[in-house]
Parts: sequence; C-alpha cells; structure tokens
Amino acid sequence: MGKIKKKGTSGNAKNYITRSQAVRKLQIPLPDFRRLCIFKGIYPREPRSKKRASKSSTPSTTFYYTKDIQYLLHETLLEKFRDQKALAKKISKALGRNEVSDAARLERNLTPRIRLDHIIKERYPTFVDALRDMDDALSMLFLFANLPSTENVPPKAVAKCQRLTLEFEHYLIRTHSLRKSFLSIKGIYYQATIQGQDVLWLVPYRFVQRAGADIDFRIMATFVEFYTTLLSFVNFRLYTSIGLVYPPKLDAKSEKSGAELSAFQLENQGNAGLAEVAEALDTEMHFKAQAEADRLLSLPEAEAGTAETGDVQEEALNDENELTAVNEPASTTLDQFTSLDPNADTLLQPSLTADVYTASQLFESFTVFLSRETPRHPLEFILRAFGCKRVGWDTSLGEPGAYCSEDDTRITHQIVDRPDIPLPSPPLTDGGLDTDDEDGPAVARKTNERIPGRIYVQPHVNAGQLQRADLYAPGATLPPHLSPWVKPKKGGYDPTVPLAEQETAAEAEADSEEDELEADEALEEASDGEEIEGVRGDGEARELEDELIVDDGMDVELAASEDDEEDGVEETVAGADVEDWGGFSGDEADHVDESTREARAHQAELEAEALGHMPQSGKNDAKKQAREAAQSKRTKAEREALEDVERRKLMMPRRKRKMFEKMVYSNAKKDEEAERLRAKKRKIEKQGGKQKA
Amino acid sequence: MVPQRAGQKRKVVEVAQVEAEEDNGQLEIGALNGEFEGDGEGEDVVSEDDSDEGVDEYDEEDDEEGVEDDDELASDEIPSSEEGEEDVRQQLQDLKTSNGHSEPAQSLMGSDTAKAVAAIASDTPVKPFDDDDAADMPNYTITTDANGNPRYIYGEIDPVYDSDDSDAAIPGNTIGNIPLSYYDAYPHIGYDINGRRIARPAKGEALDSLLDSIDIPEGWTGLTDPATGKPLELTAEQLETLKKLTRNETPGDGYDPYPDMVEWFTGKGKEEVMPLSGAPEPKRRFVPSMHEHKRVMKMVKAIREGRIKPYRAPTEEDREREDAEQDFATYDVWATEQSRPDHVMNIPAPKLPPPGYEESYHPPPEYLPDDVERQTWEEQDEEDRDRDFLPRDHAALRKVPGYEQFVKEKFERCLDLYLAPRVRRSKLNIDPESLLPKLPDPAELKPFPTTCTTICRGHEGKVRSISIDPSGKWIGSGGDDGTVRIWDILTGRQLWKIKLSKEEAVNVVSWRPGPVDTCILVACCGETIYFLLPQNDLCTPETEAKSRDLLDAGYGYAATAPPPSKTSTGATKPSLSSWTRPPTPLQDRGCLLTLTLHTTPKTLAWHRRGDYFSTVSPSTTTVSTAIAIHTLSKHQTQHPRLRLRGLAQTTCFHPLKPLFFVATKTKVRIYDLQAQRLEKELLPGAKWISSISLHPQGSNLLVASYDKRLLWHDLELGATPYKVIRHHSKAVRAVAFHMGGLPLLADGSDDGTLHVLHGKVVGDLMVNAAVVPLRVLRGHAVVGSLGVLGVEWHGREAWRLEDVVVCGVAA
Repeated sequence: MGKIKKKGTSGNAKNYITRSQAVRKLQIPLPDFRRLCIFKGIYPREPRSKKRASKSSTPSTTFYYTKDIQYLLHETLLEKFRDQKALAKKISKALGRNEVSDAARLERNLTPRIRLDHIIKERYPTFVDALRDMDDALSMLFLFANLPSTENVPPKAVAKCQRLTLEFEHYLIRTHSLRKSFLSIKGIYYQATIQGQDVLWLVPYRFVQRAGADIDFRIMATFVEFYTTLLSFVNFRLYTSIGLVYPPKLDAKSEKSGAELSAFQLENQGNAGLAEVAEALDTEMHFKAQAEADRLLSLPEAEAGTAETGDVQEEALNDENELTAVNEPASTTLDQFTSLDPNADTLLQPSLTADVYTASQLFESFTVFLSRETPRHPLEFILRAFGCKRVGWDTSLGEPGAYCSEDDTRITHQIVDRPDIPLPSPPLTDGGLDTDDEDGPAVARKTNERIPGRIYVQPHVNAGQLQRADLYAPGATLPPHLSPWVKPKKGGYDPTVPLAEQETAAEAEADSEEDELEADEALEEASDGEEIEGVRGDGEARELEDELIVDDGMDVELAASEDDEEDGVEETVAGADVEDWGGFSGDEADHVDESTREARAHQAELEAEALGHMPQSGKNDAKKQAREAAQSKRTKAEREALEDVERRKLMMPRRKRKMFEKMVYSNAKKDEEAERLRAKKRKIEKQGGKQKA
Repeated sequence: MVPQRAGQKRKVVEVAQVEAEEDNGQLEIGALNGEFEGDGEGEDVVSEDDSDEGVDEYDEEDDEEGVEDDDELASDEIPSSEEGEEDVRQQLQDLKTSNGHSEPAQSLMGSDTAKAVAAIASDTPVKPFDDDDAADMPNYTITTDANGNPRYIYGEIDPVYDSDDSDAAIPGNTIGNIPLSYYDAYPHIGYDINGRRIARPAKGEALDSLLDSIDIPEGWTGLTDPATGKPLELTAEQLETLKKLTRNETPGDGYDPYPDMVEWFTGKGKEEVMPLSGAPEPKRRFVPSMHEHKRVMKMVKAIREGRIKPYRAPTEEDREREDAEQDFATYDVWATEQSRPDHVMNIPAPKLPPPGYEESYHPPPEYLPDDVERQTWEEQDEEDRDRDFLPRDHAALRKVPGYEQFVKEKFERCLDLYLAPRVRRSKLNIDPESLLPKLPDPAELKPFPTTCTTICRGHEGKVRSISIDPSGKWIGSGGDDGTVRIWDILTGRQLWKIKLSKEEAVNVVSWRPGPVDTCILVACCGETIYFLLPQNDLCTPETEAKSRDLLDAGYGYAATAPPPSKTSTGATKPSLSSWTRPPTPLQDRGCLLTLTLHTTPKTLAWHRRGDYFSTVSPSTTTVSTAIAIHTLSKHQTQHPRLRLRGLAQTTCFHPLKPLFFVATKTKVRIYDLQAQRLEKELLPGAKWISSISLHPQGSNLLVASYDKRLLWHDLELGATPYKVIRHHSKAVRAVAFHMGGLPLLADGSDDGTLHVLHGKVVGDLMVNAAVVPLRVLRGHAVVGSLGVLGVEWHGREAWRLEDVVVCGVAA
C-alpha cells in the first residue's frame, strides 16, 4: 500500500493560488500587482476543479498559476516598485515638513526609472512572437495617438504614441506590406503582413473619443506603457531590417504644422551622416520640395492612359491579372475583375513577393489629389502603401508634404466626398441641391469645378482590386462595402453571390409558394404590407412542419397549416376523438398514397366547412397538390433521416450526446441566421422589383 | 643607577603597600573589617580594596619585567611630556599625603594608569621624595657591629597613614595573601611591619575549647581571623551588616550606594599635564601610511582609466537625453533571439475576430436591422446583446460619425487581457454526424414492429393489463372498468366480455400457457383471482371440456387434502386462501373457479408448464404473505418464506431451471426452489423496479425501473447491470423480451413511447449481447401522466401489441 497523500499537496490545490494569496506572497499592494501582471503578461486561470483549488470555504473568483507567481517573485520590477514606495514616503515626509525643495530634489534624483526591455525579451523570445501579439498593441496605440491629452493621458504619452505609430506606418509604406483595409462604423481596420504574420488593427476616425466614467485610464496607461516599449523595439527591428536608421529624424516644425507622415525623414544606414536622405529610394519624404521643383520646372507631365482605371483598392488576388490591369489600362480588361470569385481567396495562395509587387504597383502610375473633405491621413497612408507616390491635398488639411495643389495638371485622380452639384461643365448623373456649398457661386465654382483630364472618385475602399471608376463617381450610389475577412461558408449567407445560387430547396419552394400566395392576395385584396407577414407565416409553417416531423409527421395537417384559418380547423378537429390517434398516421404515411391524402384533405375541408369556416379557394389546387407532393417527398426523406439520427443518438453516451446536441444547436443557429439574411435579401429584391415595375 | 633607583622606589612604595596589606589582610574580610570599623565610610573601603589589587599587580609586574617595560607600556598613555615638573611633584605630594585617596584613583584610572603612576614614582619623583624624607628624620642609627663595620639599626617604621582609618593603626601580619597554614610548622604566624615575628597565639586547653563550644560567646563565628590567628568574633552590628550584604540590601543607614564621583584627575586643576612616558614618538607617526598610499593609488589608477567616474550632478540635458533613450529603442532586443518551446500552461490571448459585413459603414441592405430587431436590441441588456453595435448605413464616408464606444471597447479588451481567466478549449470543427455511432441498418434487423395495425376500443378508463393467448388469435385485456374482454387480434373486434367487479379494477389478465388444448384466462380483480373460460363459441367443445377438467381436478385433491394445520393452541389457522366454485350465474358466464386471497395481487406470473403460477401483492401489512405460489392442479397455495428485505414488486419463473426471480424495490433475488435457498442477488442500482423480463434462454434479465432506466443484466456476469439504457424521459413501466425466438425487446414508458430494441444474446460466453435501438413507437396519449402500462409480445409473430390507455368512451 502506498503512502497516504496529504491533502492539498498536489494537483489543483498546489498549482493554483488565489489572487489575494498571490498578493500576499509578493508583498506588494494590489495596484502594483496589477501593473506587474500587465507588464509580465500574467493572467488568471480557470482551474479544472475550483473547489479543490481554493482552500477556503468561500468561493474564490480569481486563480493564478502558482508558478507564474513564483516567477514574479524575483522580478527586478518588484524592487523598483518598492523603491517607488519608499520614495513616496520620503517625499510625503518632506512635504509634511514644508521642505518643498527637498521633495523636488528627491523626486528628481530618486525616481526609479522603470525599463521594460527585459520583459519584452522574456515575453517575446523571438521577433515573430512579438509580431503575433501586435494586434492589441497597435489598436491601443492608435487610439492613444488620437486621444486628446487630459490629466489621465499626459501629452507626452500621446506624442509618443503618435510618433511610434507614424514610424510604423512609414515602415508599411516603405515595404508595401499593407494588405487589406476596411472602413467600418467603428473605425478603419488595416491588415498588414509582416514576416508572414498577419497583423490586424483598428484606427478610430478622427473624432473626440468619448470616455465614460467607468473607464480606468490607469490600467490603459499601463498597457500603453508596455505597448510603446514593444512597438519601439519592433520599429527598431523593422527599420534596421530594411536598412534604415532608427529612430528616423523628426522635423519638429513640419510636425507642428500637421505634416504627419511627411514629418519624418528616413535615413539609410551607413551614410546617416550624409545629407543624402534616401531620396532616390523613397519619394515619401520631401514631397514639398519635390512639388516645388516640379512646379518650377512646370513640365507638362504626360498623363498616363490610366484615366479609366479606378479607385482605391487593396489585396490583389491574381498577380498576373493585376499586372495586365496596370500595364494595359483598358477598361475592358478591368471589367473582368468587378465580380470576384469568393473561392479564389482561399484557393490561390499568392506568394509574399508577388503580393508585395502587386501592392507596390497598384497605384503607382496615379497622381492623386485629396479634396478638403476627405480624411487625409488614412487615404494618404493607404495610397502610399499601395504604391502611389504622388499624393496632393488641400492646404487646409495640412500644408507640408502635399505633392501638388488642386489645379495641377498632372493629377489623374481626385478623391472627393461631396454630393454632386449641378454644374454646367460635367455631365450629371444625379441632380440634387447641395447644402454644403453656401459660399456663393464663385466658391462653388472653385470647390466643385471639374478640371478635365482627371477622374473624380469617392473615397470608398472596397475589397478586390481596381474597379471601374464610374461606379464611384461623385454622387453615385456606392456599392455595399464588404469586409475582406469574411470567408464564405457552406450554408452561410454570402452577399456577393446571387440569392438563387445559395438558397436551399425548401426556401426556394417556400419563396415561390409565397409568391403565389402574394399574387393571390394581390388579386383578392390588393393589399401591401403582407410580405412581412408572409415571410413570418412561412417561418411558422416551417417550424410547424419540423414539429410535425418530430411528432407525428402528419402530412394532412402540414398542408392545412398554410393558412391561419386552417389552423383553427385543425385545433377544433384535434378535440375530436379521432385526432388522438393521429400519431399513427405518420406511420401510415408509408402506405398512404396520393389519393388517400387527397381524400383526407378533402375531408378536412369538408369538416372545416361544417364548422362554419370558409373553404379554401380551389383556384390553385392543382399547383398546390404538385407542391404538396414534392413537399411530402422531401419531408418523408427528412423525417427518415431524423429518425435515424434519433435512433443513433439513443446509443450515445450521455456526455457525447450533449455535445452532439450542442453542435447541432449551434449549427442550426448559424443556418437560421443565414436564412434570415436570405429572407431579408429576397424581400429587398422583391421590393426593388416592384418599384421598378 | 637603575637598580638602585628601583630599589629605592620599591622601598618607598613597599611601605605603603605593606601598610595597606596589613590593613586589609585577606580580601573579603579586610573589606568587611573596613566596613565594620569604618562605619559608613564605604567608599573608602571599596577604594582600598581596589588599591590593593592595583598595587599587587604592579608589584608582580615590576618584579618580573623591570622598569623599562613599564616605561614602554606607559609611554602611550602619556599625552605629552612637556608638563611642568611642579605639577608632577604636586601629584606625588598628593600621592604621598593622601595615600588612601590616591590609590583608589589609580584603580579608577585603570590598571595601566596605576602602573604608570607607579613608574613615575620609580623614576623622577623618588629622589625629591627621598631627599625630603631623609632630611626630615633618618630612620636608622649607625652603629658598629662586632667586626667594626657600620651597622644600620632601623627604628620603628612609621607607616605614614594620613587617613583616619582606624584599621591602619593596628599592626598587622605582613605575610600577605598566603594561607596561614604555611606557618603551621612554625611558632609564629608571620611578621609585623618591623620584621619581627608575630607569635602564634596560645591555644586554650581542650576543656576550655569544649566550654567555649558549649556556651557560645557573644560574636562567635567559628572562623579564625587570618591576620591574628585568633577566633574571629563579630559584633551583632557587624553580623547584621553582613546579613544585609548577603541579601543585597543597604548595609547601614548612612550608606550611600551612589556616591558622587570624585574627580581625582579630571576635575578642575587636576588635569593630567605630565606625559606618562618619556619615550620619543615613533617614526611611523610622522611618515604617511604605505597601505593608505597603495589604496589611494589604486583609485587614482581607476579614475585615470575611467573605471571610476567622478560624480557629476545630472543636468537637465542629461535627463532629457535619458528620457529620449528610454522612449526609443536603441538596440535590437531580438539580436540573439532563441525560440522557446511552447509550454502547455502558456495560453496566448485570443485575437479579436476580424470585422464582418455588418460592421461596414455601408453594408449590404440585408444586414441592416429592421424595426423589430432594432427594438429588441435596444431593449436587451448590454450583456445579453450578441453584438455590441447595431449595423448602420452611411451613404458616404463623410457621413460616418465617430464610434462612441471605442474607448470603452478598448478598455474592456484591456480588462480581458489581464483579468479574464484563460482556458484552453478544443473547438471541434467537425460534422456533428461524425459523432453519432455507427449502427447496423434497421432494415437488416427486420422483422420488427413498425406500425400500428389494430386498435381495440371499448374499455372505459385505463387498461391495466393485456395478454395474448397461446394460440395467438385473441387478446385478453382488463382495465379500470372491472371488465375482462377478449378481442380478435387481427380485426380488433371485441369477442367476449365479462364484468367481474363494479368497483375494483382488473389488475392482471393472463392466459394460461402451455399446450393449445386448453383455454383458460386468469384475471385478478381485487383480492380474487378468477379462472375464466371464454364463452361465445370461442373454443371448441374439446378444449372447453379439457379446460373444465383441468380446473375441476383440484377439487378432488382438496377433498383428500390433509386437514388444515393447527396452531399450538389447537385452533385451526385461518386459511390465507380459498379455492371456491363461484356462484352459478358467474359460472354460466364463464367463470369456473375463484381463488380468494386476503391481499390484492398486482402481478401474476405463470410457470412455463402452466401448473404453477405466482402472485405478488405488494402491500406493506402482509409482507410474509406478499408472494404466493399456487398450484392449479391441486388448488393449493403456498407462501414461501423468502426473507426479503424490501417490498416485493414482481416475480417470474426461469423457463428451464427451477429458479424463481423475485424483484423487490431495489433488488432482484433469485431462489432455487428445489434446493430452497437463495441463488443470487442482483443489484440493478434502480430506485424502484417496475417490472422484469427474463430472456427465453434464461441467461439475461431485463429490469425496468421507475427512474427512467432500463437495465440489462447478464446473469453470468455479476450482480451489477451489463448495460444501462436511458432512453425514456419518464418512468419505464414495462419491459418484455420477445418469447417467440426473435432477438427483440420492447419497453413502454410514461412518456407515451415504446422503444423497440434489437437485443441479440449469443450463446458464446465471450461475446457480449448487442443492443441496437430500432424504433420509437409513439401515439399513445398520456393521460394523468400515465403512458404505456404494459407491453406484450405476440408469441410467434414479430408484431407487438401494446396496452392502450383509453379515456374516452368508445362507440
């Protein structure tokens, strides 16, 4: 017989400790513990048995892995925290004695400087590990870069975040590693691929962010502190990997005047001391200078024939096609890409270099001007990341860095985001009174003047590649903007595919049936607003059908359930004695043929009549019967399958059965969602059709 | 010169010392003496003690090492040698004049100082002292001795005690601190200060000493005064003081335990001005330390090499530079990157899912919520929403407003990152179909019942029991209305009906098994069991006759049967059962025999051959007679003593062996009827067994229980069930194996369903029985939470007929 094990010496009891135990063990106050956990990336766990893990009778909520806490015990930061605490005591003592200068001196000289380098190294042993964790870091830093500085958010932190994020964007522009972006209601999503790692982050729109009272900025600041360190190291690595000097020089003057991206001057390594600032390689800097030089020369640049090619795009799918698209700017070739095969995304795995190449070529030949009302920074970033080297903007968006002014002749595209206004010069698609332009005819002319030889497009970033520009002309109704991350799933709803291709047989049938019903109703009552009810009635019918399949699977009832009136009949009939034995009719269905069913239907009708209801209109009986036949065939097959599943489910162990049921439930939920969307789409299509008619 | 000086010095000092020694004698006692005689001059006593020690020390050292050593030692203590001579003299004067005071001062200064003082005394001051002394009064007279040489005759030495110490006046023994026993062999006990012998005091006679011992004189202590050799006598006062001292109390009234410090040397005008040593300052005092030099040179070297940087107060620029360094990475952390193998306990934070179509600023119109959805979303609690935003459509990018919840969302994400417990969950992305077990196609396992062919309507209320006759043509049924009816199995037509009771329900209906030549239906109604012979020309005259014979045979036996057993008191025991012929009208209607028990039988089980049957009346009042085994041919009833622990529920007979199965609420017990012992006990683990069914081969037992379970017992395996089948959502009422050779079984439950299962029992012991669910038969209405009450298989065909609960009145 083995030695009797003492309780609480192994397993869950030993592996997990509660938060208060951890704090006591580390001998630090709770806020320090929180900071430490954030810095070190230590998170609570869920023990398999909470009861065994907690030693007390009261249920503890947070458990930490004991080894995590042990590993915190010899953390150099702990020492710093203690120093900090000691310093706080000293300062408070000095202030208590009114020795203000002493306190200041103490604060100046003794404040421990917390460095997180070693933690970065610990948490991310390799660079790829760090890249994998960049999602949250980037989202957070972009948020803080856009926050106004308050008492909780010091201006220094904001400036640092801004600088780091701009540096990161510069890297993306330089290497053309931005892959996808998406304009959502929350902000703009970007996805870049760096060293094979996909990094996805969200940048808010430039509005004042609302921070509620329930937001603890100390926690966020701790995260930001860590993330800034991380991003600065990542930036260092990225810059050095492409042979640039880090940190890049920041032109304080141009930064103050709102240059943003172009405030930075990237330098090549090796000749950092020289004045040559990598202009040959990088046109992102010195835009102003270049623009000025261009202006001086005033060489009429030959407008590329890309006038027909379209809008802001990302994520080239097929590099060959893309190449042709760029090289032969014929609108006919571009038309091929307007419809996308959803499977292409998954099937084709374009190599990294090809991707980079296409990304760098996408807007290369364009000269883009951003109108005053467009968000400059994101557009500039996207355009440059996809190869556009000449971006100009209105001076009200920030003077420095713009390539050219609005009336430059080299501009091939102008991005405008204002309603189309009737002007004599351009052909108009949609007339409409503009409320934005109130400055009188002169200004209106100025702001809305079309300069021939360039294409005006709306800022609309859509998944795919270069699209026809006329779809995105100012004033045009834009096509829906779709997320590039959604992969079409079997049975799921895909808005890019026509409805007919994805709806199930049952739905199609229900649809046609509904159409007929609608037609009938239209004939009889000529009423609107029945569609919604029709849809819901359809759903009810389907539900009922399911129930019936499970319970009795009585076809007669199913047929009857199409109408509300008939439901009443059914209920009344159910009261009768015969209905008790309706259950067996499901089994009978195997033998019962068409004629008997007909007879039954007839019987039901008669009964209904006897009870005082109006009999069903016999107009479309033939059609209905055909449909019923198909339906009964389908329901029979479905019922059999369902029975088989039930039978097999009986032989499953209970746990497995529960899991199975869960999976079935979740699948059903997904299907339901897809079905709902399809129903909506159908409705919208019909409405559109009606309106046209 | 030196020895002479030393000698002089010694002489001088010795005088003082001897006197002191004479004063004190042995240490403690001297102290005591001083105390006793001093009467309140405690400080003196103490100081004298100390001085003794100091001087003694000095003496020893002086003898051994000589003056030079003393000089050496003392040289450090002397602060300077430039003190004036006068001061020294003054000091010596002090020493001489107030010896009693100066000596304690020496001790106060510490032994070294004492030595120094002694040394000084030996050096310079001696001469003047000597001179003075000689000048005053020569202590000797010079005469000539016999040889004509000058002879010094010393006079009486006058120890110059300036103190008022009365002790000092007494001439004492000068032998010092040695035991008196050394002088035992001599007539004297020491020498006085003049060097004359001190005679041993005369000892008294033995008688005197005896007398002395008898009446103890005042102050007798039993001790000998070491100084005088006389018995030491102490006065009462002295004794009192002694006692106080031993108790750590104040010795006397005038004793001051904390006297003021006497500043002998440090007080005003008493500063020590004279160096204690005349030795010149050593060279090292004037030469810089070599080791220090080495140490300093090391530092200098380090500073020169730049290893030690002199402190410079950081300026603002420095600070700024430092900040900048901290802001931007200046090196590559991943310069020497080394991937770490992933640990099981390391769970990286899950990434946020990418946005879907509905998050777009301009989504397809079908993603926009309609009014109902919007309303439900707005009404929902924030935590219950499946999406934290409502899809919105904006025609152009300029119309997109800021997202209000942005900061909150990021904050929540932060909280999730550091506060949310992380668990690894394997997400099964498989087709749920793959989880389903592979079962043989039911088509291969045919035949089994699939449809309902006949419904027999007619009973009022519940039908409690049915039975199919051995020939397979009829169904017998009994129900709450107290009737027993016989139906045609194919058409469902009622063939015959008999009303047995008006109040009580027919609990059991059962055909007698066995060969087809008889036709007897047994029905239990209330406490009576009726043996019925169906009328209406259901049976041929031959079978009818044979059945009548069978039922009547027992009457003859009963007539010849032994008289009923008697109790010990002689009174006949009341018979627990009576086999009687029913009244004629009943006989005419087909009831040929009745058996009345005193309890209500609820179940009835026939033996295979049709002669024996057992009934169970599960009532708590008559536990011992709950189970009865009846013999039809003898009209006999027996109550086997089974010692059941629990209420009997149902019984059955083994088809081949003389085994009898009894099910109590929780157990099934198997008795060997021949050997009359308990064969086995099965523990199905059910809370309340409803019915049992034995496989026709007798090796497998099905137990149905009210706690929704069906338990399959393989009798060869053990006491616990081989399979537990939990298919029903309500209590399982009945279970039955197919007796006609098909591997089928069926159970009926209160949820109104009947499950038909394929249960194949293989003769091979190594192969387990296989259970496959075949079909769920629905259609039974559930009335008052009662569904299917009984299940019966047709003997030969694979049809299954079931009890039917009817609540309406049949036409």
